[in-house]
Amino acid sequence: MISRRTLLGTSAVAAATLAAPSILHAQTKTLKITTWGGKWGEIMKATVLPAFEKEFKCTVSADQAFPYVPKLQASPKNDPLYDVLHTNSNEQWNCFTEGLVMNKITPKEAPNVADVYPWAVSDKIVGVAIFTSAIGLGFRTDKGLAKPTSWKDLADPKLAGARGSYIIPVNSLGQCHLMMLGKLYGKGLQDLDAAYKALEQLKPIKLVDFTGQMEKMLLSGEVSMGVIHDSGVYRYEGQNQPVDFASPSEGVMALEQVLNVTPGSKVKELAFAYIDYMLRPETQKLLAEGVWYSPANKKVKLDAKYDEKLLTTEAKVATLIQPDWKWYNARKEDIDARVTKILKG
Amino acid sequence: MTSATIKLDNVTKTFDGRVLAVDGVTLDIAAGEFFSLLGPSGCGKTTSLRMIAGFELPDSGRVHVAGRDITDLPVHKRDMGMVFQSYALFPHRTVAENVAFGLRMREVPKPDIARRVKAALAQVALTGLEDRKPGQLSGGQQQRVALARALVVEPPVLLCDEPLGALDRKLRQQMQFELKELQKRLGVTLVFVTHDQEEALAMSDRIAVMNHGKVEQVGAPTEIYERPRTRFVADFIGEINILEEGGRARALRPEKIRLVSDGARVSGTVDTANFLGGSTLLRVSIADGRSLLVRETHAGERASRLPGDAVGLAWNDADAVTLES
Amino acid sequence: MNVARNKQPFDAGRAAYLTLNGLLLTFLLAPIAIVLVFALNPTPYISFPPVGVSLRWFEKFFRTPEFTNALWLSLWIAGCVLVLSIVIGGACALALARGNLPGRSFLTAFFMSPLMLPAILTGLALFQSYLLAGIGRPVWGLIMAHTLVSVPYVIRTTLAVLHNFDRRIEEAAAVLGASPTRVFFEVTLPLIRPGVFAGGVFAFIVSFDQFPVSLFLVVPKGETLPVVLFNYMKFDLDGAIAAASMVSILLALSVVLVLERLIGLKAYVKL
Repeated sequence: MISRRTLLGTSAVAAATLAAPSILHAQTKTLKITTWGGKWGEIMKATVLPAFEKEFKCTVSADQAFPYVPKLQASPKNDPLYDVLHTNSNEQWNCFTEGLVMNKITPKEAPNVADVYPWAVSDKIVGVAIFTSAIGLGFRTDKGLAKPTSWKDLADPKLAGARGSYIIPVNSLGQCHLMMLGKLYGKGLQDLDAAYKALEQLKPIKLVDFTGQMEKMLLSGEVSMGVIHDSGVYRYEGQNQPVDFASPSEGVMALEQVLNVTPGSKVKELAFAYIDYMLRPETQKLLAEGVWYSPANKKVKLDAKYDEKLLTTEAKVATLIQPDWKWYNARKEDIDARVTKILKG
Repeated sequence: MTSATIKLDNVTKTFDGRVLAVDGVTLDIAAGEFFSLLGPSGCGKTTSLRMIAGFELPDSGRVHVAGRDITDLPVHKRDMGMVFQSYALFPHRTVAENVAFGLRMREVPKPDIARRVKAALAQVALTGLEDRKPGQLSGGQQQRVALARALVVEPPVLLCDEPLGALDRKLRQQMQFELKELQKRLGVTLVFVTHDQEEALAMSDRIAVMNHGKVEQVGAPTEIYERPRTRFVADFIGEINILEEGGRARALRPEKIRLVSDGARVSGTVDTANFLGGSTLLRVSIADGRSLLVRETHAGERASRLPGDAVGLAWNDADAVTLES
Repeated sequence: MNVARNKQPFDAGRAAYLTLNGLLLTFLLAPIAIVLVFALNPTPYISFPPVGVSLRWFEKFFRTPEFTNALWLSLWIAGCVLVLSIVIGGACALALARGNLPGRSFLTAFFMSPLMLPAILTGLALFQSYLLAGIGRPVWGLIMAHTLVSVPYVIRTTLAVLHNFDRRIEEAAAVLGASPTRVFFEVTLPLIRPGVFAGGVFAFIVSFDQFPVSLFLVVPKGETLPVVLFNYMKFDLDGAIAAASMVSILLALSVVLVLERLIGLKAYVKL
């Protein structure tokens, strides 16, 4: 039933544009997933998804167009728009609260889950994390700045107007940064009052919507130091750009890539198979080295160049701090109102 | 060119179920006649014309053309010509295309169309303007195009809705002569709607004066002028004095009153003297606060009555027309 | 003649008028200029002054199938929307202006209502309706959604023309022997055409640039250009975005110019 509906949709598109022979797939199952664009999307479309389709004799319909969560929310629960939802951890928690995704993915459903680091299945995660980035500080190497060692280095008065972070209500890196401020200047990640006070001290600060914008601001020199995930800096490796990434001594915040299955999915077996496939060491290596994400699977052996920078050992993984999104999401409206007021002045 | 009789038989039309626009109008228009519908705005003259054209359907009564009942015939099958006050030319078509339109609708062969369009434009002295768009023409030229467009199909009936109303005075007079001359030459039955009594008097074979949806009087211009039947007709056309005598109203034209020294019916004092070129119109105060208009024509020596002069007035009884009450 | 004009005394009002117009033009064109600079600048971020001129982003745009497929899809959809909205909008406007319909002002407001509603809600509502109706998200559903928000433009511009329309012109045609159908095709349609097509150009641009309505209604591999650009921006913010914008602007402009050439959007001297 579900594949027929999707087929109606896709075949209409195809008939309208190219009249592609999608009728051939009439009997194959279709797995509906979300996935990122950019380099990640290129690798997925060029290599990962075709191989998966071939191995499991199915069709994968990968939605790369935001916003995934509202689309999922708007579709019927017994016939969801996606079988597998790929988002960051904070959005997964939202979906879980609304009953749109499952709680945990265990080795029973996807055997490779047995091989992941604890952070990928910790109590801060619903579903299962397949990769993580480390949120730390990106900085220019040509401005006479010492490599930052602490998050507090961002408050250096020399950086007034040349430091960068995110518009907190719309960007989870900004939200992570706020929680980190509570830990740095107060009693912990959940000390919001201390965080607000510290945020006030960071003004003047340049705020952006997307991490992509932060990358450009660092590259163009508009920002000398800013909050960013390691992948957003390492991707310019070998391009002779005067930027580098620093992991502060207080720890890096986790930006997990989470996969989860919708309870109403009509192809659950295939959905679990897909998650298992994404956790296979070869898939993990391919994507990790493609986009500089730290893999969740402990058994992955990365090339030295990547192994050196990414979180691939128990010791390095120990520096990861996972935010409690359930806690944060419950307070998000109040926090949004408060930080908007602080940063407006 | 053929011409046709037109008959409106007790025709009535209301708008929005309330306003009685045309109220039991009966008219007999002869073939080849220049017939005017004259009256103030809202008198029903345009609605009557539009019922002849077929734009309005009468609530009751019938419309006959050439002896045939056409009341239920749609506009495009009535084979008439019509000229509008706004000319209503097709702005997206050239002069020649405008004129050719009716022929095209009648599926006249192409070479014939070209020949007849050429002739029609020559008739209204527009040769050479074939490829212009209406927007590039003067008001007078547009009027001629409208005329040529209506006449090229050789309709037995030509309907004109205040066709000269938008022209300036000089041009209007010229077009009056031309239209009259053209109508006589073609012999077409022409129904002419106007609120301008001078125009109606100058051009028409007969005039129907209308008021409040009713026909007040039908007659030749001289008859309408000389022998108005109702107070409204008398008042609407030209200057008039209304005399109340023995409970009856009588109408007396100013030019029928003589200025006399002896045998005056009434005497009075000149209030104002308006010099009009060919004549002077005097307002003379007579007894009990009333006044009379007197037209003094300047056939010979120019008259020399000045405001304040005492004058005696006389007229023939036959010139005072008794009005219907 | 020119000499005489030059000798006229300095006119403060005229100078102010020219300055104001100059400022307005600058304000309107500045974003396009910035986009152009970004598109031609070889660095993957905005740098000012630009370090050089290169077509690498245009090359990237035209070499990326994601972009070109989306471009063609957007053009194709906008073309369909153009045709549909002039037919529907033109018919609606005629009915509203001529139909003697009861509750005409209510109906006009009703047809305009897609403009009042935030487009993102229109998109979301249609998305849900389509899913509930079980028709999925076919491309014709997207075309219908775009048409829905484009039709009001055609209605507006057509109503404006109809408002100034001298109906005696149609009557003149009828008296000359044109049946109601012929009157419509020979007179009414040619005369309202500038209004209808002016609305059609709006419709084309509204569809071609449409983001909020499309957001929920595009399907994987069937994304329109604005949606692809938005998503691309989240991961790769480089000059390809600016190049895409320039291509969009030039395409929209050329469509307007071609329509203007073919049909003549200028109203006639006298309607």
